[in-house]
Amino acid sequence: MSNIDRRDFLKLVGAGSVGAGAGFMLAESIKHPVEYLIPYVVPPEDFSHGIATWYNSVCSMCPAGCGITVRTREGRAKKIEGNPSHPVNQGRLCALGQAGLQVLYNPDRLTAPMERTGDRGSGSFAQITWEDGLTRTAEHLASLHKNGQGNRVAFLSTGVRGHFASLLELFMEALGSDRLLHYDFAHPHTLYAANKRFFGEESLPYYDLQNTRFLLSFGADYLGRWISPVHHGLGFGHSRQGRATGRLRTVQIEPRMSISGAAADQWIPARPGTEGHLALGLAHHIVAEGGYAGDDRENWVAALRPYSVSRVADQTGVAPDTITRLADAFADTQPSLAIGGGAAGNCSNGVATLVAVNALNYLVGNLGKRGGLLFNPTPAFGSSSHPRQASYRMLSELAEDARNGQIEVLIINGANPVFNLPSAAGFEQAMAEIPFIVSLSSFLDETTAMADLILPSHTYLESWGDDSPEPGMGFAVGAISQPVVSPLYNTRASGDIILGLAQQMDLGEALPWDSMEDFLKARWREIYERGAPADKLNDFESFWRSILQAGVWGEKTQNSASTFALDPNLVDNIGVEAAVFSGDSEVYPFVLHPYLSNAFYDGRGANLPWMQELPDPLTSVVYGSWVEMNPLTAKKLGLSEGDLVRVESPHGEITAPVFVYPGIMPDVIAMPIGQGHAEFGRYAKDRGVNPISILAPLMDPDSGSLAWGGTRVKIEATGRQAKLLKIGGESRQLGREIIQTSSNREGANEHAQINSIPISVVSS
Amino acid sequence: MNFFDRFTKGWQKYRKPGYYEEFDYAWTMTIDLDRCTGCSACVTACQAENNIPIVGEKAFAKGRQMQWIRIERYWEGEYPNAKLSFIPMLCQQCDAAPCETVCPVSATYHNQDGLNTQIYNRCIGTRACAVYCPYEVRYFNYNDHHWDAPLDQQLNPDVTVREKGVMEKCTFCIQRIRTAKDEAKDDGRRRVRDGDVQPACVQTCPTEALVFGDRKDPQSKVSKKLKDPRAYRVLEELNTLPSVVYLKKVDADG
Repeated sequence: MSNIDRRDFLKLVGAGSVGAGAGFMLAESIKHPVEYLIPYVVPPEDFSHGIATWYNSVCSMCPAGCGITVRTREGRAKKIEGNPSHPVNQGRLCALGQAGLQVLYNPDRLTAPMERTGDRGSGSFAQITWEDGLTRTAEHLASLHKNGQGNRVAFLSTGVRGHFASLLELFMEALGSDRLLHYDFAHPHTLYAANKRFFGEESLPYYDLQNTRFLLSFGADYLGRWISPVHHGLGFGHSRQGRATGRLRTVQIEPRMSISGAAADQWIPARPGTEGHLALGLAHHIVAEGGYAGDDRENWVAALRPYSVSRVADQTGVAPDTITRLADAFADTQPSLAIGGGAAGNCSNGVATLVAVNALNYLVGNLGKRGGLLFNPTPAFGSSSHPRQASYRMLSELAEDARNGQIEVLIINGANPVFNLPSAAGFEQAMAEIPFIVSLSSFLDETTAMADLILPSHTYLESWGDDSPEPGMGFAVGAISQPVVSPLYNTRASGDIILGLAQQMDLGEALPWDSMEDFLKARWREIYERGAPADKLNDFESFWRSILQAGVWGEKTQNSASTFALDPNLVDNIGVEAAVFSGDSEVYPFVLHPYLSNAFYDGRGANLPWMQELPDPLTSVVYGSWVEMNPLTAKKLGLSEGDLVRVESPHGEITAPVFVYPGIMPDVIAMPIGQGHAEFGRYAKDRGVNPISILAPLMDPDSGSLAWGGTRVKIEATGRQAKLLKIGGESRQLGREIIQTSSNREGANEHAQINSIPISVVSS
Repeated sequence: MNFFDRFTKGWQKYRKPGYYEEFDYAWTMTIDLDRCTGCSACVTACQAENNIPIVGEKAFAKGRQMQWIRIERYWEGEYPNAKLSFIPMLCQQCDAAPCETVCPVSATYHNQDGLNTQIYNRCIGTRACAVYCPYEVRYFNYNDHHWDAPLDQQLNPDVTVREKGVMEKCTFCIQRIRTAKDEAKDDGRRRVRDGDVQPACVQTCPTEALVFGDRKDPQSKVSKKLKDPRAYRVLEELNTLPSVVYLKKVDADG
């Protein structure tokens, strides 16, 4: 299944709705077969012994929202694959998505409700009944609610979308609390803020990688863990070798080579925090060379005056002729696309940097254009996560409120702020001040270990839900998440727990549904009703079945506006200030560059054995943490691979072995995020270190998001050694020609020649 | 004729050039290195499909990991001109496989689809095949592996779980090929259609770098890829005639 465009997709949705065949007798088909020698005397309609049954659902391992199809045999999930009809991933899936099965079948899952018996954080819990757990929680909530103190309840969920997010909103509203927060460590707050400032829309646009010819990425590891890696991968593969209109050229600007940097035709290291300066330097050159002819050209000239090529070259460490050639190539190769995020958005000037990247797109006319940046309609149903996403500032405020005794009850749903916030934030200590903490997690993670009561939730493969991906695909799209197996343990879906609490608290008027499935169906009935009569199926049930079978739903909506008017005041205010770093550069000579691990994302994959044993793509290291360092730096410090070093910031220190990495700037130290769990099951616990813990509590002032690229560190050898576990073998080819390259000029791909604009290499 | 002569004569029949041309399928994979990003989705997909055990830290430290497909990485140049390239390495399903001729018990043989296959219950664990394999893609079970319950519930019932003392390797997901053939037969078709069968790694590859199919079918996607002038085989000079064909990475500035 190759690339689906809008028209094909709508056809597909149409076709899916016709063939509603055998009923979804899900509950019948997935009863425990293990007690019987022959599972069924009269098997359910869609159950054949020895033949796989496939269920479509939505992946919840990261916020991308890929469609999945799960192969089940005899009531057990065997394999997760991408749903070929879902436009986000089109049948493809990343490693973490594949490993979702180990979330379901993880030996360290919480199996029943529990109450704390020892001190907070001691990890001693005793089993209780659901009735007991729900009643106790409901009593706490009801007494606050009755006294008009509903706002003393805070709810901290992992990022969720669709109707489950709406359900949380309804619940908290009925309770009278506005303290409903979502928290994902890697949520791109600065990107949303930059888009709001530049486009006036606080949403993510669609990056048309599939049709662009020149991709300039400022720090965004779009093939790694940035926003929607599988969708970006599809576009990348197609535009590299799958189309007749020329091979995509990609340039990656970042201090440490990421997966996208390795895949790029050119990797340009720029000093951390100067990506915005570089973007404006390119803009300066484009405008100065007449590459922009808009009415407000003079304003741009004036605004960009401080960003002359020579000055920017000094600031960023990128050679002047590299900047000019890059700017020329970006302006001349149409359509081109600049994206920014990741490391570039994680400094104290993150929003201004990403505004500068947007400006670059604006100047060469990439907005609302095929192969450029397309605007998305608002999500077609439910709620999106971003308006509720807690920035570092919001979480600090929550912590402050907790310390001031304003929070009586904290409900956690899957979020793990104790692991994902710097120690300097003091969130764990603030949590200790909250009298009653309930966690709805599936695992005993660091945050759940602080809870008084654990009401364990189903994993996503056992729950009902739905999702409208953000960023969208340029048109309204969504999918329903359905249980693919019957629940393994005495757990309940988060949605059902919320509804159960609401019932016990007599909030039935606001939340009258019996179960999450009822709630979903009621909401989807509304979506069914609003469809145009001509497109409508006979009745809701067949509509519902057809969506479940197709695993995806689409709606013919108007595309969002493809043109946009720039706020004239914005041009005058364009500019990037120097990034602020925590720590004196004399004492702390290196900038710490933490990055999202390919296997663990923000740490949530660390309890999956497949992910622990998946060699990191760039270093091949497994089972542990490491400190990446330039060979020159290592030589200067007298370090070599496996030497244990202390990485010390003004806010703490961690110890990990050195990995000598040729693709990193000499004054930058990189560490993967994801390991270093104090809890979270046998595979994750006490393995490696967590670089987040030593980060400075530094923010981007515009968005309030944590500037996690803004901490300086020093390196001290401990004199000890640790064996780095990695795949053996030589890291150089030594003339074996295992990987062969063909130059464009050999005519390997005759179309590729068109796009070959030589750009000089960077001088050190 | 003594046993040894009969044995070598038998082998020679299979080693005759063109012997496999008479059969229905010649499964082939192409891997486009210009598309591959090294994301490793194929590695996990393969582990899930083929019941590949987690060996654990200790065994990994001894180099006893079991991933049938791995991503190899090669650096070129030094900072700031360092370049990193990836190559997925899996059993090359050689038509003239060095591993087959050395097995004293013929546990590894060539099947009529051109696949280099391993008969687990014939294998006595001499590991000679692993020594002879120039691609280092055969993996030996040094231990019986254990799945912490209930992780074992995920195991694919179509694939056996191997035990201690047995060599194993990529099978091109032979269980999927078999199923596709059965389904083709049930539908009254003589042949499996292009695209009906995909190994787990090919199916999940986000950039579609991996393409799988039958090179005997001139219309198949893989046959078209084979015509790409970028096509090459790794260690071609060894004349092992691999069924995995790589497409060269493009150096845009070269």
